[in-house]
Amino acid sequence: MKLLSIDTSSQSASCAISEDGKLLGEFFTNVNLTHSQTILPMVHDLLEHTRTTLSQMDGFAVTTGPGSFTGLRIGLSAVKGMAHALGKPCVGVSTLETMAYHFQGQRCLVAPVLDARCAQVYTALFRWEGNTITRLAEDQAIPIQQLGESLKNVKETVFLVGDGADLCYNSLNEQLPCLALAPSFLRYTRASVLAAAAQTAFSLGNTVSAQDLIPAYLRLPQAQRELLAKQK
Amino acid sequence: MIEFTSHSTEETEQFAQRFAAQLKPGDIIACVGGMGMGKTAFARGLAQGLGLGDDVSSPTFALVHEYTQGSLPLYHFDMYRVNSFDELYSTGFFDYLELGGVLLIEWSENISGALPPNTITLTIQRVDNHTRHITIEGERF
Ligand SMILES: Nc1ncnc2c1ncn2[C@@H]1O[C@H](COP(=O)(O)OP(=O)(O)OP(=O)(O)O)[C@@H](O)[C@H]1O
Ligand SMILES: [Mg+2]
Repeated sequence: MKLLSIDTSSQSASCAISEDGKLLGEFFTNVNLTHSQTILPMVHDLLEHTRTTLSQMDGFAVTTGPGSFTGLRIGLSAVKGMAHALGKPCVGVSTLETMAYHFQGQRCLVAPVLDARCAQVYTALFRWEGNTITRLAEDQAIPIQQLGESLKNVKETVFLVGDGADLCYNSLNEQLPCLALAPSFLRYTRASVLAAAAQTAFSLGNTVSAQDLIPAYLRLPQAQRELLAKQK
Repeated sequence: MIEFTSHSTEETEQFAQRFAAQLKPGDIIACVGGMGMGKTAFARGLAQGLGLGDDVSSPTFALVHEYTQGSLPLYHFDMYRVNSFDELYSTGFFDYLELGGVLLIEWSENISGALPPNTITLTIQRVDNHTRHITIEGERF
């Protein structure tokens, strides 16, 4: 089966076309442009270069969050539009779980972290043992220091991935020697990795219709008094 | 610090229009002052100075108005009704910070805890019905 995967959940944007788990092509940009203007032309060019057509797609995958408010809406509306028009099934995958898939095949702990601003991150925790992934913590929005607390008894290496990886590493690595930074080429969400994460759901038939795809916004924990607080 | 005393709405607009020449991509201007101080008047001048026309009104209901027809776009926010981080998130504010335009934020008092450290502060104080004392503070000013 052919799958079109789209990610615009954070600063980078990408789309990938895969067939039965094999990547046919991927288009990735990370240049702070508005995803609303770039993602559909990228899909168009990718279809052309992989010599495929939209109607050949058997399904669509998209990152449903957490992530950028605008970015999530762009990715979801693009996929909803295409999947609805073609009547094809969809799979939505957590942005954090997608990033954890960079480590498929390894034996390690992965903590994806996305910068939620104001010293807060969206994060979760996963364990990879070969091709088996186990979720150890739900997707949540927490202050960076709370992430530090939650990892303080961990004895193994924890790989940080995501656009908040540097930020977390720099603020926590003194108190948490277990932290390791994923290399920069594995740091960002990639539609090709989303395709891998969505593949299982498609093969198990765990799909939803276009209209049932919903973004997973997470409540930011900071209180109103902190929003009003003067920083100086 | 830049200080200016304006004696009319037009003077405020003209001052903002000249000030626009000093702005760079990514600049954030946080307005402080009260109701009816002239923040929207300042925004109108700024838009004109950036070559974006003068059809500028308070984005109180839309939360943000975008003026993107020039080389340096202007994103004009009104945070009057924003009361929580979640609400701020769903204005798209954090996404606009990445777009490389100029952000002008009315009622920035409501989100001061979320403003980046390099923010430029614009304070407008009322002297009398027609007179306003304008202060601009920031690393470059
Ligand atoms: N020197 C001045 N500069 C700017 N506005 C002035 C001045 N003198 C009087 N005014 C009047 O003050 C009002 C300013 O309105 P404006 O909408 O710009 O304020 P605002 O700060 O954006 O208000 P709000 O908080 O309601 O958004 C206008 O009615 C304007 O005519
Ligand atoms: Mg106004």
